[in-house]
Amino acid sequence: MISPLTKKTLRTLYRNRGQVLAVAAVVLCGTACYIALSSCHRNLMLTRDTYYAENRFADFEIQLERAPESVLFRVQEIPGVRQVRGRITEEVKLEAPGLDEAKTGRIVSMPETRRSVINNVVLTQGRYFDTGAVNEVILSERFAQANGLGIGESLYATIDGRKHTLKIVGLGASPEYVYIIRSMTSLVPEPERFAILWVPEKFAEDAKNMQAACNNIVGTLDDPESAERVLDAAADLLKPYGVYAKTSREHQVSNRFISDEIKGLGVQARVLPTIFLGVAALVIFIVLNRMVRNERTQIGLLKAYGHGNLTIALHYMQYALAQSLIGAAGGFIVGQWLASGMIRLYVRFYTFPILRARMYPDVLVESMGIAVFFSLLGAVLAAYRAARIHPAESMRPGAPQRGRRTFFERYPALWRRLSFTWKMIVRNVSRNGFRAGLNVFVVMISTAQLIVGFYAIDAITYVIDFQYKMTQRQDATVSLFFERGKDALLETARLPHVREVEPLLQYPFEMRNGWHKKDAVIVGMSREGNLQRLLDTEDRPVDVGESGLVLSSALARSLHVGAGDEVELKPLMGKVTKEKRVPVSRVVEQYFGMSGYMNIEALSRVLDEPYTMNAVLVRTDRGTASSLHDEVKDVPVVASVELREDALKNLQDTLATSMRIMGVTSIVFAGVIAFSIIYNVTMVSLGERERELASLRVLGFTQREVGAILFNENFLTGALGVLLGIPAGMAMVWGMMHAFDMELFRFPFYIAPRTYVISTALTVTFIVFANLAVRWKINRLDMVETLKSRD
Amino acid sequence: MGIAQDITQQPIIYRVVDLVKEYRMGEVTVAALRGITLDVREGEFLVILGHSGSGKSTLLNIMGGLDTPTSGQVFYCDQELTGYTERQLTEYRRHHIGFVFQFYNLMPSLTARENVEMATEISEHPLDPAEALGLVGLQSREDHFPSQLSGGEQQRVAIARAVAKGPHILLCDEPTGALDVATGKIVLQVLADVNVRTRTTLVVITHNAVIGELADRVVRMQDGHVVEIKVNAARKNVDQVEW
Repeated sequence: MISPLTKKTLRTLYRNRGQVLAVAAVVLCGTACYIALSSCHRNLMLTRDTYYAENRFADFEIQLERAPESVLFRVQEIPGVRQVRGRITEEVKLEAPGLDEAKTGRIVSMPETRRSVINNVVLTQGRYFDTGAVNEVILSERFAQANGLGIGESLYATIDGRKHTLKIVGLGASPEYVYIIRSMTSLVPEPERFAILWVPEKFAEDAKNMQAACNNIVGTLDDPESAERVLDAAADLLKPYGVYAKTSREHQVSNRFISDEIKGLGVQARVLPTIFLGVAALVIFIVLNRMVRNERTQIGLLKAYGHGNLTIALHYMQYALAQSLIGAAGGFIVGQWLASGMIRLYVRFYTFPILRARMYPDVLVESMGIAVFFSLLGAVLAAYRAARIHPAESMRPGAPQRGRRTFFERYPALWRRLSFTWKMIVRNVSRNGFRAGLNVFVVMISTAQLIVGFYAIDAITYVIDFQYKMTQRQDATVSLFFERGKDALLETARLPHVREVEPLLQYPFEMRNGWHKKDAVIVGMSREGNLQRLLDTEDRPVDVGESGLVLSSALARSLHVGAGDEVELKPLMGKVTKEKRVPVSRVVEQYFGMSGYMNIEALSRVLDEPYTMNAVLVRTDRGTASSLHDEVKDVPVVASVELREDALKNLQDTLATSMRIMGVTSIVFAGVIAFSIIYNVTMVSLGERERELASLRVLGFTQREVGAILFNENFLTGALGVLLGIPAGMAMVWGMMHAFDMELFRFPFYIAPRTYVISTALTVTFIVFANLAVRWKINRLDMVETLKSRD
Repeated sequence: MGIAQDITQQPIIYRVVDLVKEYRMGEVTVAALRGITLDVREGEFLVILGHSGSGKSTLLNIMGGLDTPTSGQVFYCDQELTGYTERQLTEYRRHHIGFVFQFYNLMPSLTARENVEMATEISEHPLDPAEALGLVGLQSREDHFPSQLSGGEQQRVAIARAVAKGPHILLCDEPTGALDVATGKIVLQVLADVNVRTRTTLVVITHNAVIGELADRVVRMQDGHVVEIKVNAARKNVDQVEW
């Protein structure tokens, strides 16, 4: 048996279904966001942790020149170390009958027979190595798929200038290569362009001539917290064997990217739903407050019949609760659907061979809980007011609405020019300040949200342009296995279609200033270079000078040096072990993190060479760059040829989906919030002024003219909202930029003019839609009925 | 006074023929008007008298273009109102009709003067707002908001608003219904003055028979029918009547 009061709630809900659905839509977005983001956050964490645990992802990794396997026992004995494994890893050039160009990859040695080792490989297809087989390889699955390579086919890997044949026996993935990038300047993972080759130890030993030796040590720890201490101890121990780099799991590139993403998801899972549900609470507050005022007499009557204060209060809470439950129910479905879509996107972006996606009942319960909490928060004041109504007083009509002079009337010349419509609007806005304020606020949020959403797209586009159109203007980069002299430049220049060449020397160093240390690459470039340019974030070319070192600001900060200071450089490759002191000539702001720059001649001297390079930058005749692949295919010293076209296309392909999703999400979020609030506030306003507006219709005002009174008010508050929204959006972008100011990458503060235009246009569209939704009600104002009696 | 004779010579401004209005209220059909036939002449002061439920408000609403009949016709200056679209009805109200209601229906956020200006802004031949307020004796209060005015004053502003449009007809629905006797008299005096001075046709509906004595003619309605049309030999002055 439904109580009469509940029936009243149900009927009111039905009568106000438009408004109810608009509020429910906001709640839906809030809960859906919460469910999708929280579930995705947990799923991603679960997938990562399961994947790491099942395949024994290392706690630390040390890269060195060459160490005998016997030294592993001594590393093992460092307190806190649980287990270690020595490996051979090496960058290689890859060719295959199916590939139209040479690719690069990394070989990683694995035990001859399959067993559970640290940084194990997961076979997704095929088999492990045959006993005794040497020339077999397990290839990273994403690379194989993207390049049309299958089991049974052969690959040619060039290692130290010698070409080896490898037969693909399996496809796989590994926890250390979830986020596969070639260099730290890559903007997106490139699992299709960079191959991981797991090979039998025997093969790697022969190819690298490293029998019973290794150049890479991975290990697990009893306590991951002790990583830094263990690494320091190991580095001391391994000093004679040339330690290039030591990395804890926390700083491991692939893990770092994923963990940052997971952390970001966790923050978003809290922020976005709060915005939505907070907004929902505000609308509920306004709607219920109005409802209580409208139903004063009814409330008084109910009390006169003996209903208690609590019953009355609960009655209004019930109304709010119903709206949020409708929204939450929709949010469940949409949230689950989004969650499964999102995790699939993530798994595609990263390389996870496993997917742990679950439904989390506690997330559903939480989402329901917060939806209920926020709706009750919005309802509580109105419910309290309802409970406080005195039965006898409520039977008398409420005090008449007061007209009031406004600030603008101090300027009569201006005021007199206003049409009465605008006079009504201005007075109404000043009378219902809170409601008008809410409209302004919501439009502001909507505009700002759109700006932030589109900013992400602007920033990425800008950085791509910066990187590939302004900084790196070569059509192709020919990378070499070894450092070579000027002859490499001359030989490349002689190739057909080549119009311009430029040398490049990229070399990793350990940089030191006192006890501040950092491993980073120094780029040696020719001073009169035209292809590769060094630019700061203001797009100004920076001269590398004759001899000094130019540091990116992030690197300078981490080394605590400035122009005029000196840093000690220790090469991390090759035979040169002598350390050199180099003065820092300049510090420049850069988008991409941690690099140093020097005149290529000066950098050669640091390496005790007269003039050396390990890459040649090439500009070719238009449309002929791809022919370079064929030209250098059989040149052993060439590691790879990277075409700018390809790199750019890969980047755009990878980002296109994310950008589209980002854009659509911003529009949906901003749209739902703006529409729902403006629609509801306008409906409340209309409900309050039905009589007033109906009498205008009686006086002969057209529907359009009457509508204009409400709509122009929305456009007025909207204009104010957009005006505030633009700086608010800029401030949010500024905040976001600093929040994401990471070591590796930095966002430019660049908002395309187009973004302001589109954001404003969209916001205006939302207001127009809200107005249209109210319009039918205005067109049906019942003149006879509303004028008959008072209340 | 001789006005009555003049009135019958005036051209007909409204011709109401066999007007029927039925409301469907759920299962039952309620007839508010059961075949009304009536002429209104230009410049006259017509009172429609009837109890609550007699159908007088319905008649006024249809004449004013607020409502449409179930059957029958209403001609205004030989134009058939009953065939008008919503848009045409709006135009008609805008340029020809002035309404006065029991509950004034002023815009609370506009001052007295602004309420009048609101009407003059949309009219083709408006009066000066100050003049209209002068007509109802409220120039001195033109900057007051409705909430700062008494009921009678608000009603006078409503009349000024209606008159300021320069309408052909003033339709008044119980204009004194919410007012005490003394204030009601002032309001009626204002209406009668407007009628005489501007030659605006004045139709007032009321349940108060005494008000009929002020008019040129009195139409008495009952149960959706016209039961009597009485022509007053002479209109009385407001101070000659009492209720």
